[in-house]
Amino acid sequence: MQKVYSWACQIGNLGLWIIWLLIHFAVDLWYFALHIACAIESYLISSGILKRYKALDIDKLRYLAIVIESEEAYHIPAVIQLLQWLVDIGVKHVCLYDAEGILKKSKESILGKLNNATLFEEAGESNLLLDHKHITLEFASFPDGKEAVAKAANLLFMKYVKLGGSGKIQEEKIFTEAHMSEALRAVGCKGPEPDLLFVYGPVRCHLGFPAWRIRYTEIV
Amino acid sequence: MISSLSPQLLIKPNTATTLSPIPHVQNQRFKLASHVCPSELLSIRKRPGSACAATTQHRRYLLFPAEEEEEEEREVKFTSDAPALAEGLQREPMPRHVAVIMDGNRRWAHLRGLPVRSGYEAGVKSLKTLVELCCKWGIRVLTVFAFSSDNWFRPEVEVEFLMSLLETGVKEETESFIRERIRISVIGDTSKLPKCLEELVINVVETTKNNTRFQLIVAVSYSGQYDLVQACQRIAMKVKDGLIEPNDVSESLIEQELETNCTEFPYPDLLIRTSGELRISNFMLWQLAYTELFFSQSLWPDFGEAEFLEALKSFQQRCRHYGK
Repeated sequence: MQKVYSWACQIGNLGLWIIWLLIHFAVDLWYFALHIACAIESYLISSGILKRYKALDIDKLRYLAIVIESEEAYHIPAVIQLLQWLVDIGVKHVCLYDAEGILKKSKESILGKLNNATLFEEAGESNLLLDHKHITLEFASFPDGKEAVAKAANLLFMKYVKLGGSGKIQEEKIFTEAHMSEALRAVGCKGPEPDLLFVYGPVRCHLGFPAWRIRYTEIV
Repeated sequence: MISSLSPQLLIKPNTATTLSPIPHVQNQRFKLASHVCPSELLSIRKRPGSACAATTQHRRYLLFPAEEEEEEEREVKFTSDAPALAEGLQREPMPRHVAVIMDGNRRWAHLRGLPVRSGYEAGVKSLKTLVELCCKWGIRVLTVFAFSSDNWFRPEVEVEFLMSLLETGVKEETESFIRERIRISVIGDTSKLPKCLEELVINVVETTKNNTRFQLIVAVSYSGQYDLVQACQRIAMKVKDGLIEPNDVSESLIEQELETNCTEFPYPDLLIRTSGELRISNFMLWQLAYTELFFSQSLWPDFGEAEFLEALKSFQQRCRHYGK
């Protein structure tokens, strides 16, 4: 009797195990199929056959920032390809950031390879509105973040010291968020706050992108 | 047997370890008993992982789970100071400082047809759970974004309720903080808080300043830009007093004056934002340069142990280069 009971338990366990395996297999198969479908869709979009991005409404995206990890930043052709896609989608203003400034050093070659691309600092507003396929590029690196804030603070400190003799100046009046923003523009950090920030690389952090500018930026 | 233990489980020499091994089972997991003072004996039981391939003996356990506890149990006693970890969580790397943007309280209440205050009250419970988990898993600092500078623009009734909730929370938990040796720090523009709350905050910060087991930093009336600006104001006063030359101001000097300098670990290793939003909303802008970001879909009142575990496991899988 005990033997029969033991056998029944073993068969029951075997049955449950097989059911579990089948469910596991079905779920794996489903995700595999989804992955294949996404890969095919990505290939079709990348090769220009499927133009789903035409239906994209990117009016809300006034300024896009892209953070690229330093090792990946050396792949300039890939960066140019990415920018080309962004031009096709209709993105008008892009800030490219990598901590070590590799993209900044390759600025000329990137601008040369893209049609209708200008530096953000040089572009005037009137030019931007006329050409649909025009893109402005800003290049940033780690010194444009914390170092720039320190420079902007120094600018304010010099102003504070100059006016300090009057006895009427209080720290709160010189050092405000608005004054800091103004000082940052004065030291060359003129870019606006991005609406969206893409991070490319194995990490999920913004790698020191100018912190003053990403208060409400969506990070993906 | 000890040689088959996970290498991360550190056992001091001349100590005894309690083990309940199950032989011939793949994907073994060791689970330390929790809620035990380090000086007491700990019992470690090995349980089969939920996703492991079953062996003949494991199949038996599916119908007779009690048998796994009786079968071949060997006992060796040990004492350890290692914190008890959840299944699947490794001892290293563990973030020393976790920051949380506690978002989604109002949506949580709205989805349930409850008043907004219910969402915030439920959020307080989630915070207590998180503090307990951090203490249990050896995380040293937790910073929570309780009230932003922008939140002052919310309806007055809501703001008043939040202030009273903060006041009640601080009053009720002060004894618990002292008992559990938790240090409380508050960052943000506290001059905007109601006077009674401001005094309460000063008192609890002062009372708990020597606690070293765990630090809870509460950001109230805080913004990242405000933090930077107030750091510059403090440096300006030192410049005025002749302690610093204007040209000597550098990044490291600014970092020393940020309000997050109240802790040994001012830079969060992991930032969690709940409710599915993908922004940092003006929180610790300077400090988050190399912080791993984790955006959770859960609303804050629903954020519990499982969700926190998911965030920590995600953190442990990441390769942090700090920009190098």
